Amino acid sequence: MIVKDSAMKRKWGMAIDLDKCTGCGACSIACNQENNMPIFEDDSDVPKRVAFLELMKVTNDRDAKFPDVKTAFLPKMCQQCEGNAVGKHKADPPCVSVCPAVATDVGDDGVVSQIWSRCIGCRYCQTACPYEARVFNWWKPEYEGSFKNSLSTDVSVASRGTIVKCTFCSHIWKRERDKATANGILDINAVLYTPACASACPTGAIIFGDLNDPESEVSKLAKSDRAVRLVNTVDDETPEKQKALMSKKQYANPKVYYLTSQKWLRDMMRFKKNS
Amino acid sequence: MIQFIKNIFQESSKNMRITLYVLIGLVVLFGIFAIQILFWGLGYTDMNNNFTWGAWIIGDLGLVALGGGAFTTGYFLYIFRVDKLRPLISSTVLIGFMCYLFTFVFLLFDLGQPLRCWFGFAYPNWGKGVYPASMLTEVFFCLSIYFCILVVELIPVVLEHKVLIKNKVVAAIAHYMHLLMWTMAAGGTFLSFFHQGSLGGGMWGVLYARPVWFAPHFFFMAIVAAMAGGTSFMTMMPYIAGKIMKKEVVPMESYQLLTKISGMIFIGYFVFRVYDVYTGIAKFAPMAQRNYFDMWGGYYGVWMLVLEFALIISALFFLNQKKYREQEKFMVIGACSGIFAIVTSKLSVLLHGFSVPNFPWKSFTAYMPTIQEWLITLGCFACMILIYMVFAKWFPLFPHLEHHEAHDESHH
Repeated sequence: MIVKDSAMKRKWGMAIDLDKCTGCGACSIACNQENNMPIFEDDSDVPKRVAFLELMKVTNDRDAKFPDVKTAFLPKMCQQCEGNAVGKHKADPPCVSVCPAVATDVGDDGVVSQIWSRCIGCRYCQTACPYEARVFNWWKPEYEGSFKNSLSTDVSVASRGTIVKCTFCSHIWKRERDKATANGILDINAVLYTPACASACPTGAIIFGDLNDPESEVSKLAKSDRAVRLVNTVDDETPEKQKALMSKKQYANPKVYYLTSQKWLRDMMRFKKNS
Repeated sequence: MIQFIKNIFQESSKNMRITLYVLIGLVVLFGIFAIQILFWGLGYTDMNNNFTWGAWIIGDLGLVALGGGAFTTGYFLYIFRVDKLRPLISSTVLIGFMCYLFTFVFLLFDLGQPLRCWFGFAYPNWGKGVYPASMLTEVFFCLSIYFCILVVELIPVVLEHKVLIKNKVVAAIAHYMHLLMWTMAAGGTFLSFFHQGSLGGGMWGVLYARPVWFAPHFFFMAIVAAMAGGTSFMTMMPYIAGKIMKKEVVPMESYQLLTKISGMIFIGYFVFRVYDVYTGIAKFAPMAQRNYFDMWGGYYGVWMLVLEFALIISALFFLNQKKYREQEKFMVIGACSGIFAIVTSKLSVLLHGFSVPNFPWKSFTAYMPTIQEWLITLGCFACMILIYMVFAKWFPLFPHLEHHEAHDESHH
């Protein structure tokens, strides 16, 4: 059987409602479980910890007292940046062009991949990433005892000295596609999926879907007034100014949209001085 | 052999013996910790997911920039035929060779998977055009080719050893290699422009999402920095060697000519650096809605910028005025200021660059190298000094000195 229209139409994106997020950490646990995160001898050494999803606690002012203190939780994973090539076939995230060994690439579904067995561990991509989304295996990943039995067979276990990163759980999509193929559905665009963090969220704060589909919930949320992209300062400018700035310099232009009505949080996500 | 080594120690003065013990001790410790890092990984360093690079990349940046004096000096000697620089060239080529050799060593330690280092050549990220997509791909290729050129440039120094040169074939090879050396100097200069730019600056300047580094002109500024600081470095090393050996290894006028060249290039570097800071304040930081001086904080604050400019101005002041440059004391102060200005700029690129928080709710970070990082870095430097000492003792590193000694002997 030949599929006539097999071109990729999907562009995966995410919307995270920070006003709904309770900071329970279920997304982080689900991510660790799904992607075979190792447990190191000293996991209290946070800057060296390997985790794709970091649940960040954001406070307006560390020294503020009640009722002036405001807090929010912000789940942060790879933002799957597009660079200035927004909507183009080949996106240009900050981390991909820098890799000296082509260990990382952007798929036509817009997901930034990482081939752990190709990575030489130079950490240049980590340096280039403004979201601290890429993590390095400083120690040998070990899975002790019965922990080994719970490993996911869809995600390869990385070796020491390589970079690993969130891929929007792309392997789940592949698993779903394989299922569909077994049922005779060969169209690559026929299948949707949900990453581990989105399906684990108890309040439904994480919405995942296709940004190219104008009817999808995620693309509606991305266009809402509450949407704000992390540190992507060019979003605040007028369309003319945006065009002018983007002709001079690339911007990250991530595909993860955060939703919040809290002004202080929106300002902080833009490096603006606190109001 | 043991007797030979014993003799070396017995012949040396007390201070020299202590120095040798310290240097050899550092090299031994280097070996021990190298095994630890290569077999058990980078967990033993103070680098982390936020501070991704550390002491060894500072070492790389510093060594390559200061080793850049080799191509500048070679270019002036072989292409512009400034013959007064000839007494310096062998020492310069040797220092360049070692700087690049240990750049490779540092880079290898910095890789999480050192056994995969050849992937950089086997799977280069070249993109579609002539120019590679990744700055590190360019570093891989350019650095390797230029290292080969430095090896070729170093061969005559080895061949001219007083035992080897007696062989007629060796003498002929050494002679013709000298005659053809300008091709190597030209090729080396061409290549140096690329990797000096990419490793020193372009590598950081292209990181468009990191406002602390992003600057399209960074590539070109690093080339000027390497030419300015490198020439000062190439003056100071034989000068220090001469002071220790208590001999005039290089005539004073050669030193003064090279420091004059260095001073002139420092004018260009100063202008470029002022432009760099200005565009940082007025253009690139606002483009990312950041305040330039807000990014200078924490331990690696604005004092680094002030120190760097003070050192550049000191180098400018002492190296560009004839009355100061011709006094040995001021020439040394000027050249040292120049070297430290470049070292400070590399330190601030890395330490300040990584310490800046990516999110406003995070604070400035700091980096304190572990014992492994210190000893691998210092061990490499000790190794370089030992190699230089070996060459100074047994090889014709300073033709001026040999010439004078032969002259003296014929007089007696």
